[in-house]
Amino acid sequence: MNTNLKISNVTKIYPGCVANDNVSLEFNSGKIYALLGENGAGKSTLVKILSGVIIPDEGEIYLNKNNLKLNSPLDAKKNDIGMVFQHFNLFETLSVFENLIIDSDEQRESLREKIDSIMKKYNFSIDLDIPVLNLSAGQKQKVEIIRCLIRNPKVLIMDEPTSVLTEQETSELFLSLKKFSEEGILIIYITHKLKEVMQLCDEVAVMRRGKLVSVSEIKNENIESLANKMVGQNLKTIKKKKAKNSSDQLIKITNLNFTSEDPFETNLMDINFSVNRGECLGIAGISGNGQSELFQVLSGEIISDKNCIEFNNNYIGDLNPQERREYLMAFSPEDRLEQAAIPQMKIFENVALNNFKSSNFFNNGLINENKIKEHSKKIISDFNVNTDNIELKSQFLSGGNLQKLIIGRELITSPDLLICFNPTWGLDVGAINYIHETLIKINEQNKSIILISTDTDELLKLSDKISVIHKGKLSKIMNAEEVTSEKLGILMGGAN
Amino acid sequence: MIKIVKRDQPSRAIFFFTPVLAIFLTLVAGGLIFFILGFKPFEALKFFFIVPIADKYGFSELLLKATPLCLIAIGLSFCFKSNNWNIGAEGQLTFGAIVSGGVALLFYEQEGFYILPIVILAGAIGGMLYASIPAILKTYFNTNEILVSLMLVYVSKLILDYLVVGPWSNPEGFNFPETRQFSDSAKLPLLFEGLRIHAGIFLALAAVVISWFVFYKTYLGFQMKVSGFSLKTAKYAGYKGKKMIILVFLISGACAGLAGVGEITGPIGQLHREISPDYGFTAIIVAFLGRLHPVGIIFASLVVAITYLGAETAQIFMQIPKYTGQVFQGMILFFLLASDYLLFFKFKFIGSKK
Ligand SMILES: Nc1ncnc2c1ncn2[C@@H]1O[C@H](COP(=O)(O)OP(=O)(O)OP(=O)(O)O)[C@@H](O)[C@H]1O
Ligand SMILES: [Mg+2]
Repeated sequence: MNTNLKISNVTKIYPGCVANDNVSLEFNSGKIYALLGENGAGKSTLVKILSGVIIPDEGEIYLNKNNLKLNSPLDAKKNDIGMVFQHFNLFETLSVFENLIIDSDEQRESLREKIDSIMKKYNFSIDLDIPVLNLSAGQKQKVEIIRCLIRNPKVLIMDEPTSVLTEQETSELFLSLKKFSEEGILIIYITHKLKEVMQLCDEVAVMRRGKLVSVSEIKNENIESLANKMVGQNLKTIKKKKAKNSSDQLIKITNLNFTSEDPFETNLMDINFSVNRGECLGIAGISGNGQSELFQVLSGEIISDKNCIEFNNNYIGDLNPQERREYLMAFSPEDRLEQAAIPQMKIFENVALNNFKSSNFFNNGLINENKIKEHSKKIISDFNVNTDNIELKSQFLSGGNLQKLIIGRELITSPDLLICFNPTWGLDVGAINYIHETLIKINEQNKSIILISTDTDELLKLSDKISVIHKGKLSKIMNAEEVTSEKLGILMGGAN
Repeated sequence: MIKIVKRDQPSRAIFFFTPVLAIFLTLVAGGLIFFILGFKPFEALKFFFIVPIADKYGFSELLLKATPLCLIAIGLSFCFKSNNWNIGAEGQLTFGAIVSGGVALLFYEQEGFYILPIVILAGAIGGMLYASIPAILKTYFNTNEILVSLMLVYVSKLILDYLVVGPWSNPEGFNFPETRQFSDSAKLPLLFEGLRIHAGIFLALAAVVISWFVFYKTYLGFQMKVSGFSLKTAKYAGYKGKKMIILVFLISGACAGLAGVGEITGPIGQLHREISPDYGFTAIIVAFLGRLHPVGIIFASLVVAITYLGAETAQIFMQIPKYTGQVFQGMILFFLLASDYLLFFKFKFIGSKK
C-alpha cells in the first residue's frame, strides 16, 4: 500500500528563535528522502514534531489523508511512525530482548518469534540475550531499528544516524534502508554528509533558518549544488599549505601504556610519537580502537607516568587536565553531551569549564562572571553559534551549535597544542569549512594539533603526518603526502 | 476540554510556585483529614497553624525549631545539589552533639569566654567526622551513601544512649539517663529574658549567607556544581571530583553537628536521650521545599517548624496524637513531588474550535 505523509504549514517558535517557519512538505513511500540544512536549521525540530516529541504551535500532519494529532511519542508509534534518534535511547544493563519489548504489550513469545523473523529477513545478527552495553554502536542502532520495525511502521525517520557508525556499518545500514524502502516504508533521513545523500536518497529537501528552501530530485543535484543550497552561497575549497619542515619538537610521547580495569575500554600499547611546532598529526582509525583512551591520556583525564609525556621540555604525564592547560594545551573531546559540556548549565557556565589562566575567569577563588560572559559572547560571534543568549541552557542548542561552542571555547584561547577528537562531528558543511580553516590557521601560527578523527577525508585534508590506531596500537607515522585513503583504509582494518 | 501537554522547557516561575502550591494542598488535605476525624476543619487548622505562633512566646518557639531545620537543610543543599544523597543528617547531628557535649562536660565546673567557641567547634568537627564515613566509603569503595548514612543514624543514637546511661550519666542524677548540666560558659546565650530562643539562630543565618556566597560566587562552588552534574565533565575540566564529594559531605556534616550543638547547649544545657525530634530527617523535606536555595530554605524551615508546634498544641487542645505533625510533613513532601509534574507539563484548555 502506498503511504503518503504530508506536513502542512508547520510552525514552531522558541523564545528568540523560529525553529520551523511555515513548513509544508509531502512524502510518498517507495522513496528515500534526505532532509538537509545548516546547524540549527530546524531539521531535528521538524522530525521531532513528526514523532510526537515536540508539539507544533501551528500546522497539521496528515498520514494518508488522515489528520494526525500527535501529542506524545506514543501517539506517533500508534500511527505507525517510527523514529531512531541521534542519541541512543537504550537501557544499557538490560538485555537486547528486554529493550525491544519494553514498550510493547504483546506476549513475550509471539514477540520473540516476530523479532527472529525480522532479523532473518534483514540479515541482522544480534544475540538477543546479552546486555546492550556489550554491543557496538552499529548493533545498538540495529536494536533501535528493530524496535521500530516490530510495530510495522509506515514511516521510519532517522536523525543523523551515521555519526557514530563505522564505514562498514554505514554501508550495512544503507542496504537495510534500501530494502525497507522497497517494501514500502517511507524513509526520512537527516544527515550532514552529502556523499551519503548522493548514495542513498531519491529526493532531497533543504531547510535554512527554519524555512523550507528547496525540494528536488537527487539526479538533478551534485555535492556542490547541495552544499550551495544549504549554506546559500558557494563554499570555497580550502587547502592546506605544506608546513615548513620545522624540527622544533613540542610534545613527545615515549613508551606509553594504559591498561584499563574496564573490559569495555581498549588498552593502549607502547605508544610513541612526537609532534613538532606548527604541525598537525592526524590519528586515523575505526571508532572504538582506543581513540578515546588515547585522548584521555593526552588530556590528563587518565594520568600516566610523569616521563611518558614531554611537553615543551617539561615532563607532564602525571598532571591533570587543568594543570596541563597551564602549559597551554587545549582539549576538545568527542562526547559533547556527557563530557565536554553540561547540558543543564548555561552557555556561559560551560565556557568557564575551559579555564586558561590568561582568561581570568576566576580571581582569588571568586567567579568573574563579567569576564566569562564577555568571552562567551566572543565565541558565539566568532564561531557563528546561532543564538545571542549566553544565558540559554546549552541543551537547547542544536547539536551542531553546541559542537561549535565547544570547539570555539578551546580554539579561542590560542593554545600551543590543541588535541581534538572528531572536531567536526555533526557540523554542517559551512561550519566544517570554518573549523578546518581555523585549524589550518593555528598551524600557520606555528602552533600544533593532534587530530584524532574517524573521518579520513578530514585527516587527509588537515594533517602533515598521519598514523593509524588499531586495537590500541599506533602504526608507524607517515608523511601525509605518501598516504591515500585506500592505504589508510587497509591500515584501519588492521593490516600492516 | 483540558489537555496535558509537555513544556518545551521546565518553567522557572513554576519552580518557585510549586512549593507554595504544595503547602496550600497540604492545608486542604489536612483540613479534610480533620473533618473525617470529626473536627471542624478550619478550627483545627487554626489550632495547628495560627494559635501556636500567635504570641511572643510562640514566635520564639517557632524560631527555636526553625533554627536547626534551616541549618541542617543548608548543609544538605550542598549535598543534594551535587547529587550526593546524604540522608543521615540526624546521625551527624547526634554525633556532633555527643562530641560537643563531651567537651562541655570536660569544662563543667569552669567558666570562661573561650569555652563556648571550643564547644561549638567540637560539634562541627563531630558532625564532619561522622559525615566523612559515608563520603569516604562512597568515593573509595563505591558504597551507596544513602544506606550508609542512614544506618549510621541508628549507630549514633545507640552511642548516645550508652553514654548518657553509662559513663557520662550524672553522678548526682539518680540514674536518670542524662548528663550533668553544662556550665553557663558552655551554653549559647538566650536572646530574650523568658524566651527560649538562643544565639544558635545566628549560626543558622551565617550558614545561609555563607552557603549562598560559596555556591553562587566562588570557584569552589562552581566546581561542586559541575561535579554534581557529571563526574566525567569534572574530570575533563580537571576538577578533583572525589574531593568535591567529600567536601560537600563535610559541609553538610558540620551544619548538622552545629544544629546538634544548638540543641544541647541551648535551653536544655545537657546531653540526654532525645536531643532531636528527627530534625535531621525533617530537614530533608525543608531542603527540597526550599528548592535547595538559601532564601527558600529560610521560608521552608519556618513553615515546617510550625508543624512541630501545631502538633503540640493540637495534642493539648484537641487530644490528637502529636504524630499528626509528621503526617503534615509527609503531606508537604508528597504534594511537592506531585506538583513538580507541573514543571514539565502544563494544562492546555482547548475550546470547541477544531
Ligand atoms: N527548547 C528550546 N528553546 C530554545 N531554542 C530551542 C529549543 N530547542 C531548539 N531550539 C533552537 O531551535 C533551532 C533549531 O534546532 P534543531 O535542533 O531543529 O536544529 P537542527 O537543524 O537539527 O541542527 P543540527 O544540524 O545542529 O542538529 C536551533 O536554533 C535551536 O537552538
Ligand atoms: Mg539536529
